[in-house]
Amino acid sequence: MTFTLWNPAPVVLDDTEVLRRVEALTYAGRAPLAKSSLDLLGAISKALFSSPQARVQPQYVALAYWLRPAALERLAGELRTRFDGSFVPAPRGLALHLPPTNVDTIFVYSWAVSVLAGNCNIIRLPSQLDEGTAWLAGLIATTIAEAGEGDRHLFCQMPQDGPLIEAISRHCDLRMIWGGDAKVDSVSRTPIRPDGLSIGFPDRKSLAVICAASYRAADETERDALAARFFNDIYWFNQMGCGSPRMLYWVGESGDLAIDLYDRLDAQVTGKGHLTETGVAIGKFAAVNDLLAEGIGASATRVSNALHVLKSDRPAAMLSQTHGGGLLGQTVVGSIIDIAADVGRKVQTIGHFGFDRGDLEALGQAIAGRGGYRIVPIGQALQFDILWDGVDLFDQMTRRIAIRL
Amino acid sequence: MTILEQCFARPPYSIPAAEREALLLGAFNELTAHHHAHCAPYARIVDGYWGGLRAADSLADLPYLPVSLFKMRRMLSVSDDDIRVTLTSSGTTGQAVSQILVDRESSMLQQKALANSLMHVLGPKRLPMLVIDTDAVFKDPRMMSARGAGVLGQMRFGRDHAFALTPDLRPDIDAVRDFLAKHGDAPFFMFGFTFMVWANLYEQFRDAGLDLSNGVLIHSGGWKKLVEKAVDNQVFRAALKDSFGLIRVHNFYGMVEQIGSIFMEGPDGLLYPPNFSDVIIRNPVTWELAPVGEPGVVQVLSLLPRSYPGHSLLTEDMGVIEAVDAGGDEWMGKGLRILGRVAKAELRGCSDVIAAEAA
Repeated sequence: MTFTLWNPAPVVLDDTEVLRRVEALTYAGRAPLAKSSLDLLGAISKALFSSPQARVQPQYVALAYWLRPAALERLAGELRTRFDGSFVPAPRGLALHLPPTNVDTIFVYSWAVSVLAGNCNIIRLPSQLDEGTAWLAGLIATTIAEAGEGDRHLFCQMPQDGPLIEAISRHCDLRMIWGGDAKVDSVSRTPIRPDGLSIGFPDRKSLAVICAASYRAADETERDALAARFFNDIYWFNQMGCGSPRMLYWVGESGDLAIDLYDRLDAQVTGKGHLTETGVAIGKFAAVNDLLAEGIGASATRVSNALHVLKSDRPAAMLSQTHGGGLLGQTVVGSIIDIAADVGRKVQTIGHFGFDRGDLEALGQAIAGRGGYRIVPIGQALQFDILWDGVDLFDQMTRRIAIRL
Repeated sequence: MTILEQCFARPPYSIPAAEREALLLGAFNELTAHHHAHCAPYARIVDGYWGGLRAADSLADLPYLPVSLFKMRRMLSVSDDDIRVTLTSSGTTGQAVSQILVDRESSMLQQKALANSLMHVLGPKRLPMLVIDTDAVFKDPRMMSARGAGVLGQMRFGRDHAFALTPDLRPDIDAVRDFLAKHGDAPFFMFGFTFMVWANLYEQFRDAGLDLSNGVLIHSGGWKKLVEKAVDNQVFRAALKDSFGLIRVHNFYGMVEQIGSIFMEGPDGLLYPPNFSDVIIRNPVTWELAPVGEPGVVQVLSLLPRSYPGHSLLTEDMGVIEAVDAGGDEWMGKGLRILGRVAKAELRGCSDVIAAEAA
């Protein structure tokens, strides 16, 4: 068993030492929204903004913005309004974070909210890290060490199962499992503290919906701006994020509007220099063939190497297909409410364009009890929200000590 | 005579490119229509992606399927009852394998095509055969695999078989010496997978003083593992010549999805498609036809597949057409060089593949 702590340079610790450090964290929680917590996150934002590597990655830029002191102060202000005097807010204690293998930036947000909540944290990084993630984790570990908080936030690598992580889990008040159905199932077999809370984030798929009439009314600038935001939603994580749209619903006859949007989307692909690897292009072609053969797709258009659009009369089946890389399903419905029938438990984000509040609330009511967790403007599909998959992360990461006079 | 019979009637690699295009186009259009009529999923693809059934104006204009589709689903253009053999591709553990459904007619055509290709380099008579493998590869059911099937398929073209390797893939020097004592003075046939020929024949026997100068070696299976050792076709050929006096060496390129269609290495080191086949290189961004000399993704065409819609397939190999009709009289058509596999797509989402993560 090897436990490697990023301190920030990797240090190998033996199991006894690991457990000693973990145990020491049991009562090391801080008051939620403590200044020291905000300062630590603000320092990470600053480190991100000042590094050239972060500036070329839009995900890192978004993270840096989310963590900047003014934004955190605003968030903390909103959260403090929940503290109505009927309770004393308290941290849960020790949180274990298990980010997905392809660690995107989500795990940093989940850790950051836990920091705001006042918890101590253990973050298990995957055994094999891509260059960008290793760099990001290194930057965070360095900032933590410089802030003298290295003992409270253990960024580490360790075996995903076995006696060590089992022993560590027994000390945890909170466990965040990112990585889909199979991982949630497998990790959940290991107990944490009996009074602890384990939260899993299973497989999710997302969709987008556009009002054809609104798109028709939109001028060139608005259409291009929509295409730019839609590009981010689709291509940031190569369309493989839980929030990445796989299916686009047009409400009302789209006619030539659809191809107008796809051409603008493709112009974004070209303008932003997004390249499609040959393996991705071939895999996408294979997925299109399979979906056509199965009858899930009725017809397919190759807009460009980066974008294939598959017209589907079976959008629910199209939603559950797993290929990304620029494969968008398309269907036309008469009313936004018609989407609800396709929204099952696995649907996460619904990106929208061109609807008013009444339409969106009607959709929200129609999907209540079915699935779907976020109805957000196109362009915000991948944006982190403290309300994630229907879970209020800050609430779940804190405890309330009731005071009754 | 059908087009296929015309192809079979001539030396197997002899039809020049332009003549081949003209000769084969109608037959390929007929095959597309046949599969469209008899394989509903194929028809849905042609209707949904290729604008419906129509006669292609050129071979490059034919619809093509991704080769991995045969890993994703069963595709057949005859009734299930007519299927005689299900061929599967080799694949490492956990990988999906192709399922190729072959009826009697397709099977016979494949055998005939394979025989034509091999006889072209081995001559009309069956030769004594030294297999660069172990007989356990097909005798032991636990080892039975595409490799075993490949060895068995080749063995029918030789006689008096000997095996150069023991079941644990060590050199069986006595068996090899016995074979050479009996047959080494006249032409004999050797077959093996490219990597094993290198690692288990060349590397292990190179100092054994073996005289293989009467041998004809046919090998296949890809260069991936050899690229890691910086061994290309030139190095490979030079090493076999220096150590064993072995000069008659033919690599071939083929795949289970188009079994029977053997792209054989000609005297210029390029791979030539048999008369009833062709190869197209596509630009990996525009997917248009790439000109001679420009690398791209390899698309293969074969007239043999009738029981499954595999007559036009986009492979996952990169290649380049180096020359056309340049291999000499009996080696006409496009001369292909394979450049390797397309780099595997790593599209990982929020979901972990648990098994994929090394603990």
